[in-house]
Formats: sequence, C-alpha cells, structure tokens
Amino acid sequence: MSENYGEPISAGATARAGDPGELTLRFESGFDLPRIERLLQEARERGGRAPETICTLNLVAIYFNEQQYERARSALEMAGTIHPSRLIVVIGDELIPEESLTVRASVVRSAGAITLERVVLYATGRAIRHLQSAMTGLLRPDLPRVVVWGGRPHGALMNRAVEAADRIVIDSGARPPRYLGETAALVAKGAPFGDLAWARIFPWQALAADTFDLPNLREHRGNIRKARVVCAGAVGAEGLLLLGWMQSRIKKLQVEIHAEGEAESDETATAIPRAEPMGLGQVKLLELVAPPATFTLRRERGLLFADVKGDDDGYCANRVRLPPDTPGRLLALELNLLSGVDELYAQAVQAAAKLLAQVEP
Amino acid sequence: MPYSTEHDEIPNPLRPGLRAESAPEPCALVIFGATGDLAHRKLIPALYNLAVTGHLPAASGIVGVAKSELPTEQFVSGMRESVGTHSRTKPIDAEVWQDFAAGLRYLSGSFDDSGTFARLRSALDELDRSRGTRGNRLYYFATPPSAFPVLLKQLKGANLITSPSDSRFTRVVIEKPFGRDLASARALNKLVLETCDEKQVFRIDHYLGKETVQNLLVFRFANSIFEPIWNRRFVDHVQITAGEDLGVEGRGRYYEEAGLLRDMIQNHVFQLLCLTAMEPPVAFDADAVRDEKIKVLRAVEIFEGAEQVARSVVLGQYAAGSIGGKDVPGYLEERDVAPGSRTPTFLAGRFNIRSWRWDGVPFYVRSGKRMPKRATEIAVRFQSLPHSLFGEGATRPNELIIRVQPEEGIALRFSAKVPGERYRPRTVSMDLRYGAAFGSVVPEAYERLLLDAMRGDQTLFTRRDEVEAAWKIVDGILKVTESPEFPPPRPYRAGSWGPPEADELLAQDGRSWRRL
Repeated sequence: MSENYGEPISAGATARAGDPGELTLRFESGFDLPRIERLLQEARERGGRAPETICTLNLVAIYFNEQQYERARSALEMAGTIHPSRLIVVIGDELIPEESLTVRASVVRSAGAITLERVVLYATGRAIRHLQSAMTGLLRPDLPRVVVWGGRPHGALMNRAVEAADRIVIDSGARPPRYLGETAALVAKGAPFGDLAWARIFPWQALAADTFDLPNLREHRGNIRKARVVCAGAVGAEGLLLLGWMQSRIKKLQVEIHAEGEAESDETATAIPRAEPMGLGQVKLLELVAPPATFTLRRERGLLFADVKGDDDGYCANRVRLPPDTPGRLLALELNLLSGVDELYAQAVQAAAKLLAQVEP
Repeated sequence: MPYSTEHDEIPNPLRPGLRAESAPEPCALVIFGATGDLAHRKLIPALYNLAVTGHLPAASGIVGVAKSELPTEQFVSGMRESVGTHSRTKPIDAEVWQDFAAGLRYLSGSFDDSGTFARLRSALDELDRSRGTRGNRLYYFATPPSAFPVLLKQLKGANLITSPSDSRFTRVVIEKPFGRDLASARALNKLVLETCDEKQVFRIDHYLGKETVQNLLVFRFANSIFEPIWNRRFVDHVQITAGEDLGVEGRGRYYEEAGLLRDMIQNHVFQLLCLTAMEPPVAFDADAVRDEKIKVLRAVEIFEGAEQVARSVVLGQYAAGSIGGKDVPGYLEERDVAPGSRTPTFLAGRFNIRSWRWDGVPFYVRSGKRMPKRATEIAVRFQSLPHSLFGEGATRPNELIIRVQPEEGIALRFSAKVPGERYRPRTVSMDLRYGAAFGSVVPEAYERLLLDAMRGDQTLFTRRDEVEAAWKIVDGILKVTESPEFPPPRPYRAGSWGPPEADELLAQDGRSWRRL
C-alpha cells in the first residue's frame, strides 16, 4: 500500500510564503493572551480604523509542522471567509527540540468587513504544552467550535478535541485507508466527525441517487444487488466510504472494491479552478447491478457519466460536471454542518471499516 | 415514451439524508427571442455560470430561436462575447466553454411559420442523440408578450409539449409582463393552461431569484424574535422602495405599453409586499408558500373609484434633470415615446391589507425610474415609545430595514446612549451586509431561477391565481388613472425621489419617506 496520499485539506497545494500583513510576537516562556489580543487588534486596525468583524464560528486547525499548515493555508483562508471565523492555527513541532513560542496575527477582509481573524500559535520542544490552554483562551465565546485535524485521528489531543469541539473535520483520503478503523471507533463513541473524503464523494452519491430518480429507471430502485468500486492506483478511503454508504442503505448488497491504473498527475495551476485531478485512491468507477440492468458511473476528467445497460438500451443516462476545485471548497462544505453527528457518514464509516478486512486481510 | 407510475412508490434507497445538491435531469433548453437583450445579458451568461459551478447537467443543450438570419457559428461567437462581458465569473474557462458551446444551436425563423417548429423538432431530436438530453424540454419565452400565444399554439401544433404524466418533462418559462391587465392575464392563463398543465408553467419574476429576497423568508421564519412583533400591535407602517437611477434605456416602445405599474408594481413590488406580510407557510414547498402569498394579495384593499385612487396613489413622470453629475433627458424626450405621453414612470401609493395581522398598518410603496440612486428595500417602522424617559423627540422609532439591492443586507436601528455624563440617546444602526457575512459568491437571480426550472421547483415562480390577484389590485388603479379624466402623472425632476405629492401622501398620515 502506497503512503503517497495527498496532504490533508490542501490536496497537493504547494507551500507558500507568509502573509506580509502578518504581525509577529515571540515569547520566552508561556503565552501572554492579553498581548495576543492586542496584536490581533493591531492587525484589525492596519490601514485605518478597524471595519466591522463578522464571526460565525471558531475554527481551530491543528498541525504538527509549519509545512503542513502552509499547504493547508489557502484552503483554510477560503473556507474561513465563506464561513466568517476566528481561525486559531495550532502548530506543535515536536521534532525541533529547542523550546520556542511564536504568535502571528492577521485578518482577511471581504466586502469591506473582516471575515477572518487569524492567530497562528507556533511552539516547539517542551513549549508545546502551552498550546492547548492558549488556544482555549483565544476562542470566541458562544460560537461553535470546529477543529480541523490534519493528522491521524488518534491520541490524547484528539480525545480532548472530541470532548471539546462541536465538530472535527478530518480527511481520511489523506492517508492509507487502514486508519478508517480508528475513525469508525471514535465515531461509534459519538465523535462529531466531518470528513473531506466524504465530501469528495458527494457528486458520486448525488449522481447515483439522481439516476435512480429518472422516471424510466425507477423500476430498478428496489433491485440493486451488487456494487463495485474501482479506485485510481490504490484502494482509498473515498471508495470504501462510497461502498459503506451503499451497504448502509441497501440490505444484502454484495460489494467489491479494487484498484486499477494510476492517479492523474496534477496539472499546472491556472487562474481558472477546475475539478481536481483524480488523486491516489480516489474513485474512478462505480458499478451497480440491478438485474437485468447494470449502471456504470465513471469519471472522465471533469465529468461524471452514468450509463445504463440491460434496461431499454445502452444510452447515456446522465452526465454531470464535477464542481471546480477551489481551495477550501470541501472544507466549506463540511462547515455547513456546525454541530452534531452526520448520521449518514456515521453509518457509512462503520460499514467501510468492516470492508477493510476485504482489502487488507 | 409513456411510463408507468407504479414504480414511483418504490423509495429511492440512495436518496435519504444526502447532503449533496442534485443536478437537474438532462434537458434541452429552447430560448425564443435568443438574439434579444435578455438572452445576451442574462440567460446565456447564467447558463454558462451554471456550467462553471457544475450545476448545469453536462447532458444539456440550448437551442436559440429568433427571426434574424444567422449561421450557428455567428450565434455562438455572439454568445461568447456576451458571456465575456456579462458573466459574473471571469475569464471564460475555455474547457467549460468548449463543452457548453458544443451544445449551442441556432434556428432562424418566424414564430408564425409552422416550418420553424418542424425544424425545431429536428434540432431537439439531434440534441437528444448528440448530447443525451433525453427528450426533456425547457422552453423559455424571452420574447415580447405578444408572441406568447403564437408560441404556445405552434408548440402544441408541432406536438412539442408532452403530457405532465410523460416520463420526459416539458416546462415553459414565461417572462413578465404576464398580461397587461386582469382580463388579458386571465386570457393568457387560459391559453397557457389549454396547452400545458400548471405544473409545467414557470412564470418568472427575477426578483424572487435574488438571494436577499429569499433571505426574507429565512429571516422571518427561521428567527423566533421577530414573529411576536411582526403585526399591527407593534408595527406602525411598512415602506417598500424600488427605485432605479436608469431611465427607459432605449426601451421606450416597451415602456409606453407597460408603464411603471405593469413593469414594477404588479410583479416585483407586490412580491416584496407578499413576502413581508405573509403568514408562515405550513411547509417550505411551492404550493404552501404560494398559498400564503395569495392570501396577502386577496387581503389587499382594492381601490374603488377615482376619489380613492387619488387619495392613495401618486403617479409621476420624470422630467430632465441630473443624476450622478450628468444631465439626463426627460421621459418625453426619450426615443419611441409618444409626444404628450401619460405613461407613469413613478408611483407612490398607500396599500391597506385587511387581515387579522395587518389591519390598520399602511404599506407605503414607491417605485420609479430616474431616482437619485438604485435602491430597493423594505423598511418596517415600529411604533413610537408610549412615553419617552429622555425627553420629547429624543428617540426615534425602531426600524428594521431589509435592503434588496444594492449592498444587500439587514439593518436594525435603535437608540443607544451617547458616551458622556448625560443620558443622551442617539439612533445607531446594527448593520449586516449579506455579501460580507458570507464570503461565498452570490449567484445571479437568473442562475437560481433557471436551475429551479430545470429541477421543476416552482417555489420561486408565480402561480396562476397569484398573477391574477395582483392584476386585480393593479386594475383598480389602471382603470382610473388611464382614463383621460384623471390628471396626468406629475412631473418630477430626474434625480429626485418623485414629485412633491409623494411626500404629501405620507405627510397626510403624519409620516415621511425614509431618506435613502
């Protein structure tokens, strides 16, 4: 199994240099919250009197080194602008032994208002122990708390996040699918997970459901017997979640998953967003057998096609264009749900974890 | 391709709980009047943007139909230019455009000629084969209303309208104005419904496609704090303003036929009035929402006789003036306007809603062309304090302002203490700007409405009875004001908020218009 899965959230974006409008403070021992608040106020007032600030949630992003954050940065910025937020980025780099504490503050303006206030808390060495309490002190009161978790869904910090957050957004597609088991175990305990891998298969789910809503194909709704998923290059979490979702919806459904070919190479970035390339482990085909008909949903570049055979003829039943892959689109989708458990996902991830045995005996 | 409905009873196991938005079914869209302004400025750019955002089914095609003789290539290149100019997403995405343009067709011909519709049928069949549009049709009447009857007749004659029970859908989108009075609206409805079922008819009012107008429903029915005060016991009056700084912009011929009442009041302004005054619907579906809107229209007092109209309505017509530092001509100097025309370009009116909730609360409406600025808003003025602790006149009544355009948003005006040792109240505004609060790009009204029409969702389209009820109110005014005995519209200077009589209308009630 390849470990070459995309980075969380950013899906392959390259790291970029820091924001020139960012204000920085360094601390010797422990953070000073009033000074951080003053730094944020200074960032708000840069270029004149502070405009109004709109804030609908606390977005906490947790990373384990600066590069991880830099790759996710534009996605967080975009999602945080669509859902005006106080973004607190927590970076704890244990691999650097020297103790250091740095805070960076900046704001993002949109339509004349501040829609994102950002505080980056960076700690190395033993100073990492201060991160959690500093982050807690900087949360805006009475607003939902959403944690964006860039690592494996395990550990003491994750357990604390599960207890304190209204929602935790992970990306199962960013790592080998065996970790779906850990996710499923936490979800079973009520962890309010959102998953970018889940958001990535929304177009597949919609097209599959839409196809069985087409008037002439409704007769096959009650007769779906088998589902087969093909992933690009390696079996990935998206494919397992897609099958898990179908198994949780259709009783006695036989399922099959395997990998074929390779992931698509990342095209040169253009000013025009288009559907993201098919990454390693992502779904390239879904076949549904509802005898005598067979439905094939397949991905070709930016389009999803649904074909049906064995019904009247072999015509193309439906085609949909995949949404453009703007940074943060998937995260913004997940932020539409600010609290509670996505029941459909909870059922799908449990079923997907059971399917793992087929893939990795 | 008739299909049996027996399988509709089998639930779709994949549908429940899905968070993904559904794409509409594949379909071919036919735009009658495809070389016109609406198609160039709004419809094609909106369809292109739906393709960019992934909402337009890739299995779709567009046939433009108009009289002009044009090769398809010229039509396509003209549309590309329009998209380049009017699309909200720029620059044009070459890959999306290529696929979009591959589904564009053009057909020239007279609507009176049945041959045009035979060729249309062939073009649609070809789209079914090449683009997989599966026999689904959406006809968009972007033509002057005079063409509606012949289009309906020809579509029916060419067997291009399927039955509502057919597996392939046929839908007809009809642009305003829907009729020019109650009688003609009824006749048109009759004609439309002889050809189609009401479920196939989508009467468009693009105001309903605006996010802020839809937000009015959310604002009213997703917040518990406003409902208890949204009635005659707490509201003093409501002001609805729909002002444009533009004149008739070369559309003198159309405007001479329509005038402000038909162009703005019967549709846009009454829709705003309905959404402000309606009761909570029992469900958020097309018929439940429209049932409540129609109750409002039925409760609006119909003016009876010249005296009541003269007491409640002021009509105006813009004279030359200055807007934004530029001289602009008067209405009578505009192209295609008849000398001595009595067509109103402004209306101020007082409407009463005779209902349990609103009786005694006047709804003041003003709308006009060549106003000082473009501004559409609903202002709910709450009652004054029964007794002021801070001195007579120290406080102003609270106001809730819902701005529809520009700067869409909601503002609440209330009193706050001016910092200092004395208790000096000052009115302050708590202002939510919709565009700033949600960083996502707001889609154009036509994008939303075209998507809904493709999905078959009629919530944001007007129903037959709704159109007729609105005309009934407007007819009460038109019958009086269009008679030669009624005084002509009062002139007002372009760049002003209407004639002085509009101010007097509110002054009689001890009120004044909001300064915008």
